[in-house]
Amino acid sequence: MTTKNRVRRCILWTAAAVALSAALPAAASDTHMPECYTPAAGSERVIRVEPRRGPYRIAVANGHTGIPWRMQMIRSVKAWAAKPENAADIAELKIVSTGADVAAQIAAIDNFIQAGYDAVAFIAVNPKAFDAVIRRARTAGTVLVSFDNPVDNPDVVRITPEWMEFEGAIKTRAVLDQMPRKAGTVLEVRGIPGNSTDRDRHAGFRQVIDEHPEIRVVEVVGNWDTGTVQKVVSDALAVHGRFDAVVCQHGCRGVTNALLAAGHPKVPVGGDAENGFVRALAENGIPGISVSTSPGQGPVAVRAAIALLKGESLPALVNLPTPHVRTADMKPGVNYFPDMPDTYETVSGYAACGPDMVFTPDELMRQSADGN
Amino acid sequence: MIPALRLLVRHNDRALAAWALLLALLLLFLSIHPRGASGGVLAAWANQGVALAFVAVGQTIVVLTRGIDLSAGAILALCNCAASALVRGDPAEVALGIAAVCLIGAACGALNGLIVVRGRIQPIVATLATGAILSGVALLVRPTPGGSVDDRLADALTGTVGGVVPVSLLLLAVLVAAIWGPVRASLTGRTILAVGSAEPAAYMSGLPVDRAKVAAYALAGLFAAFGGLFLGFQTLSGDPSVGASYTLNSVAAVVLGGTALAGGAGSVAGSIAGALVLRTVGSLIFFTGLDPMAQPLFEGAVLLVAVALGAGRLLRIRNRLEVFR
Repeated sequence: MTTKNRVRRCILWTAAAVALSAALPAAASDTHMPECYTPAAGSERVIRVEPRRGPYRIAVANGHTGIPWRMQMIRSVKAWAAKPENAADIAELKIVSTGADVAAQIAAIDNFIQAGYDAVAFIAVNPKAFDAVIRRARTAGTVLVSFDNPVDNPDVVRITPEWMEFEGAIKTRAVLDQMPRKAGTVLEVRGIPGNSTDRDRHAGFRQVIDEHPEIRVVEVVGNWDTGTVQKVVSDALAVHGRFDAVVCQHGCRGVTNALLAAGHPKVPVGGDAENGFVRALAENGIPGISVSTSPGQGPVAVRAAIALLKGESLPALVNLPTPHVRTADMKPGVNYFPDMPDTYETVSGYAACGPDMVFTPDELMRQSADGN
Repeated sequence: MIPALRLLVRHNDRALAAWALLLALLLLFLSIHPRGASGGVLAAWANQGVALAFVAVGQTIVVLTRGIDLSAGAILALCNCAASALVRGDPAEVALGIAAVCLIGAACGALNGLIVVRGRIQPIVATLATGAILSGVALLVRPTPGGSVDDRLADALTGTVGGVVPVSLLLLAVLVAAIWGPVRASLTGRTILAVGSAEPAAYMSGLPVDRAKVAAYALAGLFAAFGGLFLGFQTLSGDPSVGASYTLNSVAAVVLGGTALAGGAGSVAGSIAGALVLRTVGSLIFFTGLDPMAQPLFEGAVLLVAVALGAGRLLRIRNRLEVFR
């Protein structure tokens, strides 16, 4: 064997070792803050990258704009980054929203890679379109974290609620518990058709409701939008007269508005955690449950990126804990806020993820919702 | 020589204005980009705009006939979904897949043309209807985002030549020159412009009016297919809902590029600049840190100002009849 060949082989082995260390199968208990970054059931893959010294340049690439949840997400990322103990790790924080166009979001992430940012957290507008840019990020050494609407790519850390459990075991189960008689007609208010989140949440709902074959289900499509939800629920009330319970994905203030406007008897309602909905349940004594996917996912994702950069390992697919509260336990100033707008997300962050993930309304409102 | 140059500038003043605007915006973008001008930055910038530029080229050809193609975005989405199912496998399969996707696009466009010409339906209504139908077909082909596209070819087409020139821009230039160039010089191409400026006169002169119109819509479909293919190379997947923003943005790019919506005058090159201007404005906004909510407002303002400047010629006119020349 010539020296040249030996050197080449040596380089090859080193390259292989480096490549392996990028996705080292560490034991699940070794991952960073497992009480917050809980691996999804059946997901054993662990992500770790070569550690580097801070402070870091971090970017957040949001997709859709003009949604209150997304604006609060941006505010909470800024509020988290502004806390002195976190600010020390962050040299620069840049947040952009690119709208619904997938080409624009890919270009935004490419621009951050080119500009040498250490990490980019993003809410993908489409779960399938990011494979090429994920590869470019890995080549350039940029850490990507996908959250809320995660990408279908095992090479990046993805952070998301467990939607089946969210809608089924937690929300639908609580609604059933609060029905005096487990029979009659239940109204299901669904989200945007064709979206994978709507599909999973519907499956979770069916899983629980199908245990009661004597219950009849009426489905309407509310597009996760309060106005649409109110309209379709009013229409359903006009057609069916009355329901024995309502399970709504998002935009559920539309449900309580429609029920109250129609003078409908108080039946259990399961819904989101927007201030308007929680208030409507608490102040009108409507039995039910508020289940939250908190905009606090933003800072949880940014903190995950920083942990990776510091050399910690994280599960490739993280399922966040799901905060929820029933009507009987709702307290003003804690679960709902009489002085805040109806669109305010009452669960500001994930308490299970540490004290730095809980925000007061004042802290959030001090931050602007734009990219600065 | 000088008078010839002057004539050239005068005949293409609006397209040149669009290119000047693009150049100014691009220089501004590169100057505020933290990385500055590099191959990667230019490639990301070009890749973002090329799909829209392809659609805008097709839209221009239809607009030149005094028509409009509201199905452009739907054809792009359908071709993107078709690409995610066909453009993979060994090189021969990839080549066949690309040819099939182009054929699908051209066929959809030709269908539009036949409905407009034979069915005698207003283009705006005909293409609105076919657009809805084709969106439905795209959803049938691929109900949710997915599929895959050959990634070696995708990497090559979204990269750079020599680390400087984005391949996507070269691809755009070559395809437009190789397809629209010869057509524009032919009888059909001249008829496309003649139909837009005075259809009865073109008909009375014995020009092949119907053939030109069908050809214009078919070309629009073909260029939309290029857009859908390129989007597939960018995303390595197909998405049935991807086309929504492309239809109206392509019309905006056509207007920015100086083509008259009344038909008969304008250029494909101007529309390419228009499409890239729209995308550059979007990129500028986020590196200047402007509120993303203000982006549509900002884009609208740029469009309005550019069109108003283009219409400045009207102010210098002494005799109103000159407008109709």
